[in-house]
This record gives sequence, structure tokens and C-alpha cells, in this order.
Amino acid sequence: MKTLSSLKVLVVEDEALVSMLVEDMLTDLGCTIIGPAAEIEEALRLAGSADIDAALLDVNLGGRPIFPVADALKARGVPFAFASGYGEAGLTEDHRGSTVLQKPFREADLRRVLEGLVAQLA
Amino acid sequence: MAVGAESEDREARDADGGARLLQLERELAAEIGKSDTLARVTEAIASSNDVDACVQIALDGARDISGAAYGAFFYNQTEPDGKSYALYRLSGAPPEAFADFPPVRKTPLFEPTFENTGVVRSDDITLDPLYGRNAPRAGMPHGHLPVRSYLAIPVATRQGEVLGGLLFGHPEPGRFTVRDETLLTGLGAQVAATIESIKLNADALAELDHRRKAEERLKFALDSGRMGSWDLDVATRTYEASDLCKANYGRRPEEPFTFADLVATIHPDDRPRIVAAIDSAIRDSADYDVEYRVIHPSGELRWLHARGRAAQTADDGGVRRLAGVSLDITERKRADERQKLLVNELNHRVKNSLATVQSIAAQTLRSTASPEFFREAFETRLIALSQTHDLLTRESWEGASLREVFDVELHAMASEDRVSFDYVSDVRLTPKAAVALGMGIHELATNAVKYGALSTPLGGVKVVWRVEQDVLRLTWTESGGPEVHPPARRGFGARLLERGLAAELSGGVELTYDASGLVCHMALPLRALEP
Repeated sequence: MKTLSSLKVLVVEDEALVSMLVEDMLTDLGCTIIGPAAEIEEALRLAGSADIDAALLDVNLGGRPIFPVADALKARGVPFAFASGYGEAGLTEDHRGSTVLQKPFREADLRRVLEGLVAQLA
Repeated sequence: MAVGAESEDREARDADGGARLLQLERELAAEIGKSDTLARVTEAIASSNDVDACVQIALDGARDISGAAYGAFFYNQTEPDGKSYALYRLSGAPPEAFADFPPVRKTPLFEPTFENTGVVRSDDITLDPLYGRNAPRAGMPHGHLPVRSYLAIPVATRQGEVLGGLLFGHPEPGRFTVRDETLLTGLGAQVAATIESIKLNADALAELDHRRKAEERLKFALDSGRMGSWDLDVATRTYEASDLCKANYGRRPEEPFTFADLVATIHPDDRPRIVAAIDSAIRDSADYDVEYRVIHPSGELRWLHARGRAAQTADDGGVRRLAGVSLDITERKRADERQKLLVNELNHRVKNSLATVQSIAAQTLRSTASPEFFREAFETRLIALSQTHDLLTRESWEGASLREVFDVELHAMASEDRVSFDYVSDVRLTPKAAVALGMGIHELATNAVKYGALSTPLGGVKVVWRVEQDVLRLTWTESGGPEVHPPARRGFGARLLERGLAAELSGGVELTYDASGLVCHMALPLRALEP
């Protein structure tokens, strides 16, 4: 089973300040950051081909929904969690039940979510 | 007896007989005349269609028949004291003849007429034992038309309701015969029947008019409320819909619209629920109050609200009809949806803002040495963020221009006078880009005020931008300040500009630590900036 310290996490977040916070948290947890991607095209490229273990996805990228990226990750079997100000209400029918990290969140919340994603990898 | 005398006698007899014959002929002619008049008047009374005309015809006709000088109809007007009678119509005298007199009172003389106990006929009313017994006038008031012969006939319905009285008079005594009394009594009955029929007719018309007006009011209320009305016969499933009700289902007024059409028009997902509600309303007399979607023949989807109630009119106590109204509530439903979206969006923005503030706090904490410095730096960043929010709120969160963002952030640092601008055209920014650039500009300005060109009285900043091939190229150039050295450790501002802002706006941001002053180059694609 992978530990968080060797985890490569794709970050998709379009707000600079929030992205910086998440990067800091992941760095503190010992993860390697892939991205961050602020645009859907870049996120899709990384989700499709980059070497990643897990992903943290902002639901709304400048008004465009993240779900195609989530679908690409699902197809590759990469576990992911949504980070959203909407909470679970912002998810489409297909993605209800996915892990959601409600913004704002603590580093401990992020750790718990990542540990959950790692458990899916095992 | 002499022949002459005999012949004289015969002549006298003949003359006598001729006179009698003449008299008989005259009486017969008069009788025929009266009968003709009676027939004509009766006919005219029966065919009159207002009370005034009916009474006038009767009075004029009665005078023709009886030779009365005057005729009057007194209307049975019930005063609070129950005794007065108002003059209604006159014949043979101008209305002025009665204008100055108070209403007729129910004296013993008039009582049989207005109590409907019988006809009063008098050859000389002034000799009647009942005449002149009443104070204060004791007889006809001064100036009254002269009356000796008197005939008074009650006008009453078959049910006994006294409508009034026909009163006739003549200045000479002995003018009214038994025959006159008989004929005029018949006329009185005809007047009563006609008035009754006119009143019944008028009542029926008023009732009809009342109903028509009520129906018009209801239709107006339904129309102005855009309410359609409908009525379902439970047994036959016959459905009747008003024009507006049909319109609610996308049908024109002339199009047929059956109950089956209605059910078919309801959105398939809502249909079972609505059919069940109708059944329940019929079976349990439950209130029918439902909202559902319909699909118009044009394919348009609309929302309707229908309310109704079962009417228990069957003899066996069962429900016979379900009737109610329907209203198109599509606009309200859309407003509800918009409201829901807005509340969700607001929640999203607030949560994102909180995450942003959390980030500012965390990173300010990392880069400050003491709580005092933290507080100062954190608060100014928070206020910088708030300034951009204020600017966007003024513009209904539709966006702001690049120059406006510079202005609010520089104003907050009291630095606007020391920064010069050079650009051809302003750039419109999305709210998101405005917030990001606002934070970036704040970091540049606060650094310049603390350590850079704006920390000395002579220094200044020049901001130049151009848009080339859909890319905004902006340069912030400081000069006239203290000599600049590259920092040993990259702080929050540098990280935000070079990493955060560059990533968020899909461009490049580069800080150059020239000895003569800090330079910041930005190259940002317009697609990431403009609304």
C-alpha cells in the first residue's frame, strides 16, 4: 500500500490563492504535486497521460464543469476527490457518491480524504 | 173618437215610439262603442310593456267608457305609518292639479279601495256618510278638482297584493252607472294582471342581467389572473375547458380538447401522480391541488398549477363533477430555479472566498516573523481583496476594467499619484480575473511602498500595457527608489505573481530585480481575462 509521502497528486484548481494553499498542504503531507492545472484542457491532458496516483479536482473551472476530467480519471482507474464550495449539491447524477471535500477544508481533512483514495488503490 | 184625433194619437204614438227607438239605438250604439273601447283598451293594456304606459292607457280608456272627467291611479306606497298613497298617473287633468297636495291618506272613504274590499261608486260623494269625517280637512282639500260622481276600483293581484287604486270623478252628480262599474272593474283586473306580468318579467330580466354580470366579473377575474376554468363530468369523463384553460395546454379556443387529450398532454413523468390525484379527488372528495408539467403540441414544456374540488350533486350522494381552475406557473417555476441557482452560486462564492482567506492567512503566517507583522500583512491583504469585491459589487459582479482594478488597489495604498499609466485601450476583466489581478497588483504596490520605488519621496512607477495578438503584455517598472537586490527567499507576493497568477490566468509573470528598480512583466492571454 502506498503512503501519502510517495503519492503523486494531480491538482486541478483555477484560483491562484486556493491552489497555493492546497500545494502547501500537499507538500506538508509529503506528496508530489502534478500541475496544478487551472484550465480544463491542461487538466484533461494530465489526467489522460501523466504519472499520477490520485487527483483533487475543483468542480468548477472558470464556469466550466470538471466532469470530463473525472470521467478520464475513472477510465484510467485513478482515484479522485472533488473539492467544491458547492458541496455534494454541485455534482452531476453520475458522480453522486464520489468523495467531496467541502471548501474551505483543513489539512487534516485533506489527509483523511487522500488516505481514503490510497485505500482504493490497494 | 175622431179620425183626426185617432190619427193624431197614432202620430203621437209613432213619434213616441220613434223617439224610444232612437233612444234605444243611441244606447245600443253607446254600448257597442263602450264594448269596442273596452276591447281595444284591454288589448292595449295587455300588450303594454311598462307600468306607466299600461296605467295611462287604462285611465284614458276608462274615461272614454265611463265619461269620467278625471281619472287617477294611486300607487300603493307603503310608508312607515302605512297610510299614504302616492299619485302615480293622471288623465283628464294636468299633473299640476295634484302637485300641491300631500299624498292621499287611508281614510275610511279610501279604505275599501286600498284594502281591496270592494268598489266604491257614489252618485254624489259629498253626500256619502263617510265623506268629510276626517280632520284636518274634512273633505276635499281647497283647490281640489271638483268631484261629485265618484268611482274607485281596487287594483290587486290574484294573490291579493294591492298594487293601487283606479279613482274616477265627475263634477256633476249621478254620472257613473252599474254598467260603468262592471266594465271598469274588469279593466282594473286587467291592469293588475298586466302590472304583475311586467314586474315578473322585469324581475326575470334583472335576474338574468345580474347573472350575466356575475359571469362577466368571474370571467374577467379568471382572465386577468390568467386562470383557465374546467369542469369534468365524472361519469362520462366529459371535459369542458375555457379558452384560457385550453391555452394552458397549448390549444386554440376552437380546437377540441377532451379529458384523454388532457391526460396525454401531461408530462409522462408527472402523469401517474396527476391521474392518481384526480381519482383521489373523486373517490375521497380530497382537495385537488397539483403542480405538473405539460408538453404543448408545439413541443414547448410549461408548468401548470391546477386546483379543483369534487361537487356532490348526485342523488345517490356520489360525486358527479370535478371542477376547478388552472394557471400557467412556468415563470414562477423558472424564477424558483433561478433563485435556487443563485443561492447555490452564492454559497459557492462564499465558500471559495473563505478558502481564499484561509490561504492568505496560512501563507502570511509562513512569511512573517511575529504576530504584529502577521496582523499588519494579513489585514492589508484582506482589505485588498475586499476592495476588488467592492468594485465588482458596484458593477453587479459582471466584471471590471484593468484600470479600475489598478485604481482601487493603488488608492488603498495612497499611491495613485505616483504611478503613471501608458495604454491604448483598457481591458475588460471577468470577476475572477479582476480578483486575481487585484491581489497581484496589491502585492506589487505594497512591496513598492515598503521596500521599492514608493518607499522614497522621489521614486515612481510606470505601468505600460498593450494588447498584441490577443495577449495582454503589461509591464510594471519601478524607478527612483533604493538600489534593488534579488531577495534571498521568495515571499508570498513573488509566489502569488509568478506561480499563482500565471497559472490561474494561463500566462506568464516574471519579476526582474533590476538594480534601478523592480520590473514585473505579465503576458496574459485575453481568453483568460475577458468576459
